[in-house]
Amino acid sequence: MSSPALSVPHDHGHHDDGHHDDGHHGHLKLQYQPGLPLSRGKLIMWLFLSTEIMFFAALLGSYIVLRFGAAVWPKPHHVHLSEPIGAFNTFVLICSSVTVVLALEAARANKTGLAKIWMLATLLLGSLFLGVKGYEYQAKFSHGIYPWAPHGLIHERPDLYYGSAVRARLEEPAIIDRLKTLDETPADQLTEEQVSARAALQQVRALVIDPNQQAFEMAVVADQIMPLPAEGPGGDGHGGHAQGINDVFPWLRLPILIPGGNMWASTYFLLTGFHAIHVIVGLIVFAVLLGYTLGPKNAGMIENAGLYWHFVDLVWIFLFPVLYLF
Amino acid sequence: MSDQTAPHDHTAGHDHGHGGLGKYIAVFLALCFLTTMSFFTYSAAWPWRDQPQVGWAFMMAVSCTKAMLVVLFFMHVWWEANWKYVLTIPAAMMAIFLVIMLIPDVGLRNRMVSQERALHMARPSDLLLLERAGGGQVESSHH
Repeated sequence: MSSPALSVPHDHGHHDDGHHDDGHHGHLKLQYQPGLPLSRGKLIMWLFLSTEIMFFAALLGSYIVLRFGAAVWPKPHHVHLSEPIGAFNTFVLICSSVTVVLALEAARANKTGLAKIWMLATLLLGSLFLGVKGYEYQAKFSHGIYPWAPHGLIHERPDLYYGSAVRARLEEPAIIDRLKTLDETPADQLTEEQVSARAALQQVRALVIDPNQQAFEMAVVADQIMPLPAEGPGGDGHGGHAQGINDVFPWLRLPILIPGGNMWASTYFLLTGFHAIHVIVGLIVFAVLLGYTLGPKNAGMIENAGLYWHFVDLVWIFLFPVLYLF
Repeated sequence: MSDQTAPHDHTAGHDHGHGGLGKYIAVFLALCFLTTMSFFTYSAAWPWRDQPQVGWAFMMAVSCTKAMLVVLFFMHVWWEANWKYVLTIPAAMMAIFLVIMLIPDVGLRNRMVSQERALHMARPSDLLLLERAGGGQVESSHH
């Protein structure tokens, strides 16, 4: 606001050649200062994005430092992460970045109908990303991988505490009743999987009652409850892994063993959760924008929403390899 | 007020020039190719499976390239004036400082731990035990 005041002495005939107008004013060298060559909305969006850079850099940086400082960190398959699904979601977000750019170009060219189609495509792709993410979250929850204690079933070590946690679960009244029913069910009324899982469960019950439990025996118990899938593309962590007791009898919800799994769950849900919140905010903005006429007059709004959306894409570009492939 | 809107009009006019469908499609294809590249580290064809550090360095390089493409072209930073450096460079430096400052207390937290904590925290040997316990079952599930 002070800039026009400074430029007042030059406004009399020398407005255009701001740099060479010092002849009339002796030592005073004032020149017109237009401020930043961008609109206020865009400036505010960029300032916001610079705080977002630090926000996500803090989250991602903490994850990397925690991960490499940990004595043990679970492999992606141990926590039922599927690399192809992660790669698919990366592709979906990249596509949505392109569609929002195309919406902006169409709006600037006054092709309002086309801009709206691209904007709708962005909204759908963003929703698809969220849907896939929800499916992935469900895969974690169904295996007892939660970031907090009442739901989370993760134990860190095959020790006495783990054995007693499994025993405590097996001794809950409701579970005792269901186990009794299961024991009494004739084998011909069960599937092949259920029969072998029932046999494995018998072994687990015998092992956790034994007062002289060794670490290896507890590892066997953990493996029967939820086996850690093998690494590599062959031993895919999604559905293709060996069935554990918890998979065959989901009502059991026996404690599981993932060394390093608790810290993994905390960081994974924090990082992807904050990213998902950003995706949801972006989708709300796009839904609101769909109510406007997307012409040159509103191109600024599309540009700012697009900047935000590209940033959300940018964060995922780093999250995907760090979470799924490291 | 008119003094302030003048430069904006100029910017808007400038923005019209740098777009172009071809450029965006080229960036999109490059991004897809780079995503396939980082996914390649996961495939059986990746030659450095026993040296994860090679894969990590490769993936970070790929991610940084992808990020640069998105920032420069989709976010139009390539065509922006010098203000872009004022916002992005300090933010990036703060981010790097933060990570460095986390290393002594968080990254190296396992150098000295209390006996109590050492008793309950997972060790690499636990993972080995678990893998050995599951060896037979995982093996049989593939046949």
